[in-house]
Amino acid sequence: MMKNSKYILAGLSAFCLLLIAATSINSSFLEPLRTGVGYVLVPLQSGVNAVGTGLYNAIRNYSSLAEAQQENARLNARLAELTEENNRLQAEVYELDRLRELYALDQEYMQYDKVAARVIAKDSGNWFHVFRIDKGSGDGIREDMNVMAGGGLVGVVTDVGDNYATVRAIIDDDSNVSGMSLRTGDTCNVSGDLTLYQEGRLGLDHVKREADIQEGDKIVTSHISDIFLPGILIGYASELTVDANNVTRSGTIIPVADFDNLQEVLVITQLKDGGEADAQNPG
Amino acid sequence: MRRILVNVVMLILAFTVQICVFPQISFLSAAPNLLLILVFTGGFIEGRERGMLYGLIAGLFLDLFYSGPFGFYTLFFINLGYVNGIFTKYYYEDYITLPLVLCLANDLAYNLYIYIFRFLIRNRLNFGHYFVNIILPEIIFTMVTTLFVYRFFLFINRKFTEWEQRRDSRLV
Repeated sequence: MMKNSKYILAGLSAFCLLLIAATSINSSFLEPLRTGVGYVLVPLQSGVNAVGTGLYNAIRNYSSLAEAQQENARLNARLAELTEENNRLQAEVYELDRLRELYALDQEYMQYDKVAARVIAKDSGNWFHVFRIDKGSGDGIREDMNVMAGGGLVGVVTDVGDNYATVRAIIDDDSNVSGMSLRTGDTCNVSGDLTLYQEGRLGLDHVKREADIQEGDKIVTSHISDIFLPGILIGYASELTVDANNVTRSGTIIPVADFDNLQEVLVITQLKDGGEADAQNPG
Repeated sequence: MRRILVNVVMLILAFTVQICVFPQISFLSAAPNLLLILVFTGGFIEGRERGMLYGLIAGLFLDLFYSGPFGFYTLFFINLGYVNGIFTKYYYEDYITLPLVLCLANDLAYNLYIYIFRFLIRNRLNFGHYFVNIILPEIIFTMVTTLFVYRFFLFINRKFTEWEQRRDSRLV
């Protein structure tokens, strides 16, 4: 028996290596397995998650009651201010709508269909930023769909089962998103970086030196990405410096979405198709 | 057999807690690696084959959760269970130093494995930063948790041993 276990170990290890190699190239053949396990584990995860969230929220609610009262007074004042501002802005929206129609402006990205989903599981280690939501292909979720929260881009669906989907956040070290400045349309690359994320930031690179991107610019997803729909807000550019190669600039992005406290997200149920047509017209 | 079943159920619970509850507690800068603790204590107390079995189950869970190359975690965890099973001959109840040293070595190995094959390979060379901000906190949390979980494991182990002895004596 002792002798045997060595061979079992060697055999299993070799099998794992084989699987790693095979799934690096194509991981689709494992989908039935993942879906099958999903049927067992996802209800369990949802249940534990609901209990955990409930407990955590109860504790947090209690401790933040005093804070909330102070905040309430402050917010009431702010509300009056904002109501006034809102009235003014509403008037401007009518004007904007009229002008948009006039210029036949493309406003498609304001009208993406979305599905709300609850985050039921997250990686507890700090190496990766991957999470799981409680909606899957049964709810119309497909691979490569974009995920938003708090008005900003959060990630992309990488794996779908019948009743769950796995999302890779844009702060994951592996993530790259093609972006552009909303103001000028100049393109850049938004990369997740573990060292930067600890300061709550994303990397911003591949900015051409002469490109007009300045600190404070709104960075949105660009037209040239073949996964991300154009015009979704990512964050604000900052700390731009010229790279050592003197051709490009890089910096950081302050993301809009709050990644530490993700509980509900919106999945855009529209896939970006035909990357090629867009590629001819960068920016 | 019954012991394996209980351990498998505990693995499932540990996995669920690890990915569903710990991430909710946002003020925790790191979380203990429960699956790692269960696999290495299982291997340490019950030997190589059992360690390998628990490693296989834990690894499969992690591989099913992440959508990267399948087998990455399984490969590590079966080896982890097996290697810790080798130390089972030094196993002695109430002796906590060796499990803690093993825990340190295991968690360090786990994090280095991830760093080397998922980060260094993509030219992320800033090891010092990763070590201080990610690896060190996780090791500390995991070791503290091991102190408690290991006691709990010993308790369960003793119960099962008693139960098995009673059954055997009844058979004879």
